[in-house]
Amino acid sequence: MTLGYRWLLLIAALAAIPAWAQQNAAYVVRETDLKAKPFLDAEALGKLPEKATVTVLKRQGGWNQVKSGALEGWVPMLRLRLGNPDPKKNTTSIAAITGSFNQRPGAGPTATTGVRGFSEEDLKAAKPAPEEVKKLDDFAVSAGDAAAFAAAGKLTARTVAYVDADGKPVPVKK
Amino acid sequence: MRSVGGVDGLMKNIKDATGTVDEPREVELGHGITETLLGARPLLDDPALQRYVNEVGRWVAQQSERPLLPWRFGVNDSEHVNAFAAPGGYVIVTRGMLRVVRNEAELAGVLGHEVAHVVRKHHLNALRKGAWVNLLGAGAAAGTAGEQGGELVEALVGPTKELYARGLDKDDEFEADRIGVVLATRAGYDPWGLPAALQTLGTLKTDDPYLALLFKTHPNPGARLDELGVAMAANFDGFQGLPTNADRYLAATKKMRSTPPQAESKK
Ligand SMILES: [Zn+2]
Repeated sequence: MTLGYRWLLLIAALAAIPAWAQQNAAYVVRETDLKAKPFLDAEALGKLPEKATVTVLKRQGGWNQVKSGALEGWVPMLRLRLGNPDPKKNTTSIAAITGSFNQRPGAGPTATTGVRGFSEEDLKAAKPAPEEVKKLDDFAVSAGDAAAFAAAGKLTARTVAYVDADGKPVPVKK
Repeated sequence: MRSVGGVDGLMKNIKDATGTVDEPREVELGHGITETLLGARPLLDDPALQRYVNEVGRWVAQQSERPLLPWRFGVNDSEHVNAFAAPGGYVIVTRGMLRVVRNEAELAGVLGHEVAHVVRKHHLNALRKGAWVNLLGAGAAAGTAGEQGGELVEALVGPTKELYARGLDKDDEFEADRIGVVLATRAGYDPWGLPAALQTLGTLKTDDPYLALLFKTHPNPGARLDELGVAMAANFDGFQGLPTNADRYLAATKKMRSTPPQAESKK
């Protein structure tokens, strides 16, 4: 197939771009300061009104670095929504963000020939699979193994209170 | 076919259902529910990835009030973007979800949300509140009669399909988001992993068939982010700069990501 090679190049090109860089348009859900640095008490470079659109450059913890016109600065991540203010107008497919499938006509999950997935329909047609549940035992991890895995990933357990829907800390009962 | 004993057990327990479900019975129920969930789509054949997801999941679950449950995590072989929890410590995440997730902190948040459903017994309570309270007794009756498994699983199939196609109350989902964020943070991850994953989901075409079941059973990502914005407020500002472990995540999922998806039904 002569087309195959070109498609492969396209797939390779897509794979090389981080998925999140492909769809970095965002809008502000509530009026918010554009900060010079990712800190609450950092200098404000300006104000972004509700629904202002920005381009997200990167995320650092709870902050997104954004570009607004000529200005670059930081906005609390949860003041931003990626995509379209009306989600029904979103045009991004899963394939576009994963760069993984649907790149070739006829390939990927657009085909529906006889293989079941995990849709509502498939769930309703499911027959119990006890052997699959038994397999889970083979991959189970002990508390000790989990702790070693955490240490290898430089993860340190911390004391953090639960929060209620209003953002009030709930006392830890352990 | 349900045996006479099973029907008897069912009738008996309609009468004297106390509403309490002890932990072994809860695990048994979750086992039965998971048999149906994995009946819809089997586990992905990638032992290293299965192990990795268990490592992340178990470490997150250890931070909960129920660290001693026999936690079992699994990746199923579906491109549909979704994750499920069942009572007693069963958590299944689809490979489609692992494609959307970008680092270990996001995965920890997603698994933390599912762990929260287990810890808060959301599905158990939904079964109890529904017309299915008798099942909890029926399973026990089958168990004590030495007929463990078959009877219970058979009785659970209908309710499992109904509950997992309908979803939980939206307040349970918002609560699971809040707890998921806290568990991931307790585990030492960047707290904004779950919000980041929700942000990604919020960019996607809402009528994408591979999101249909997730979007039917959960509030939309924008609403979940609105709720998390209020709940997280400034509570996590002291946890800036914690690891996302993107490299470890990308390495663990590399084989899965480089495997083209198989055709699946989309409806
Ligand atoms: Zn949920």
